Amino acid sequence: MTSTRSATLFAFALLAPALIYITVIVAYPLFDTVLLSFTNASLKQTYDFVGWTNYLRIFGAGNFTDVIIRTFVWTFFSVSIKMIIGMCGAVLLNAAIPGQTLFRVLTMPPWIVPMAIGIFMWGWMYNGQFGMISGLLQNFGIVNGPVAWLAYGNTAFWATIITDVWIGVPMVTIYFLAAMQSIPKDLYEAAWTDGAGRAYRFRRITLPLMVPAIITMSLLSLIATFNSFDIIWILTQGGPSGSTTTMIIDTYKTAIGSRKYGEGAARAVVICIFVSIFCLAYFRAVRRLQQGEAK
Amino acid sequence: MSQLNLKRLEKSFNEARIIKGIDLDVAEGEFVVFVGPSGCGKSTLLRMIAGLEDVTEGQIEIGGKVVNDLPPVQRGIAMVFQSYALYPHMTVYENIAFPLRVEKLPQDEVDRRVSAAAKVLQLEPRLKHRPGQLSGGQRQRVAIGRAIVRQPKIFLFDEPLSNLDAALRSEMRIELMELHKRLGSTMIYVTHDQIEAMTMADKIVVLNAGEISQVGSPLDLYHKPDNIFVAGFIGSPKMNFINGKVRSADGSTVSVDLGKLGVLSLPRTSTSVAGQEVTVGIRPEHMQLGAGEFTISTMPNIVEHLGIHTISYSTLPGGENFIGLFEGNPAIEDGKALDMSFAIADAHLFDSRGLAVY
Repeated sequence: MTSTRSATLFAFALLAPALIYITVIVAYPLFDTVLLSFTNASLKQTYDFVGWTNYLRIFGAGNFTDVIIRTFVWTFFSVSIKMIIGMCGAVLLNAAIPGQTLFRVLTMPPWIVPMAIGIFMWGWMYNGQFGMISGLLQNFGIVNGPVAWLAYGNTAFWATIITDVWIGVPMVTIYFLAAMQSIPKDLYEAAWTDGAGRAYRFRRITLPLMVPAIITMSLLSLIATFNSFDIIWILTQGGPSGSTTTMIIDTYKTAIGSRKYGEGAARAVVICIFVSIFCLAYFRAVRRLQQGEAK
Repeated sequence: MSQLNLKRLEKSFNEARIIKGIDLDVAEGEFVVFVGPSGCGKSTLLRMIAGLEDVTEGQIEIGGKVVNDLPPVQRGIAMVFQSYALYPHMTVYENIAFPLRVEKLPQDEVDRRVSAAAKVLQLEPRLKHRPGQLSGGQRQRVAIGRAIVRQPKIFLFDEPLSNLDAALRSEMRIELMELHKRLGSTMIYVTHDQIEAMTMADKIVVLNAGEISQVGSPLDLYHKPDNIFVAGFIGSPKMNFINGKVRSADGSTVSVDLGKLGVLSLPRTSTSVAGQEVTVGIRPEHMQLGAGEFTISTMPNIVEHLGIHTISYSTLPGGENFIGLFEGNPAIEDGKALDMSFAIADAHLFDSRGLAVY
């Protein structure tokens, strides 16, 4: 009896650091945010519980629905482009060409350069007066005068996506490359022996066998991109006129910018619900893929 | 008619010469086995024939046509890989149909050929399954099915049974031999397992360090090995080797001094071995219990009773390990002196370079 009790205590002692960590860093802030989302908390010393008012307000105002749609569109394009470029990059890096290692190293800088520095660099490149992009396009006669890419809603929207893609592509490429290299060489040799050309082999062997990697990476990238804050904040701060304001930017602006902590918390809770759905989809996909492998 | 000719075939990877000038003729319908220890170049040779490795020097002819620069699909070969190389995401049907899909054959032709192959290989109930749901033997059959549907001139097998357990291996061996009989195609088969080589081959090619040590029928190789390598490689348990020195070689008899074991006189016409350090070879299964034409007294260290056979392991005065294999279950024990003998006609003699002396 005593030994069972001491074994249980010992188990709890071993688990304690993780439990304390999760409680302090995750559970308490999450609980407090949910609680806060039902209040009118601001810079005032006191606040009251206001029930569903914050939620009714953010969904009723119309503005937040636009933000949600914009966030999904922004995320969709960013993730899709990352997947497509990442796949193309992996195919090229997997090809047996001279200097293969050099090319593999050259894909890394966007990942290695501190993110803020990379984003500032893009900020300058998008600049109308001094920016490289506007300058080059003028030199080639594609645009007539300087274009400040971050000054217009449409161009700023795509500019932030391009920067996000630039930062995100190396990880996707390396992940896809690793998945590609785990496909047994024998399969390609067998297919080649049977007369299958490069494109046929890619379509019928590489791509189907990459499906687990593509699903996993898409979902992981979706979760990270959905919450992408620093790129948009540094480049546009959500502007011009809210054209790059995604849910996370909107939440920050409301909670920290306008000091409306209660409303900000409600927005954060909505983000949390979306991301939880993505995470659930990810875990379900992983479980299904593992079951598929077991078969 | 010769269907495959290898002429002075060489393969180098950078500085390393892996295949060192191989000449070989394979007749139509022959079952040829490349056998040799790991790293001898047998798989490389097969992959060169398949077109998966470039040829450094020499020529490969299939059906009288030089195919050195042709891609595998134009060589009229089909290959079965050691790992089976099945596509895990495709059904058995689609795996077998793969080469036909590449050829863009009409669906009814694909159906006809896949059904015929599945029937031969008893895979009909499995056509809708994925490779992951099959046993090792069934996977192997799917891989063979994929080769059959292409109706190749030559089948190439790269150690196809090495991933199977012993029981399944012998079962598949028989299935492959039956398949060879039924199809009548030329088959080239790579293995490191000499039992597979002995049981399946019309012709065995023994490879050692990138060179052919001997080509011949299984029984030729067993009874008349050209050299000490083939003598030691073919046969299980391995042939016993006893070192000695030739006392005299008079053109009809070679007398070999085997030290404490005595002098062994063998009927050989060679005189060039006079005074040479030589090796006498005797197969364990040629040993008999008790005294005989040449008797050896041993003290077995270990005795294995296998029911059908009994095997004794001992060490000779010269330090060589010596194995005797006897039929049935004779009363021999480890640690008890044992006299055994062999017939002079069963002994092999190899000169100082390891070549057989006749």
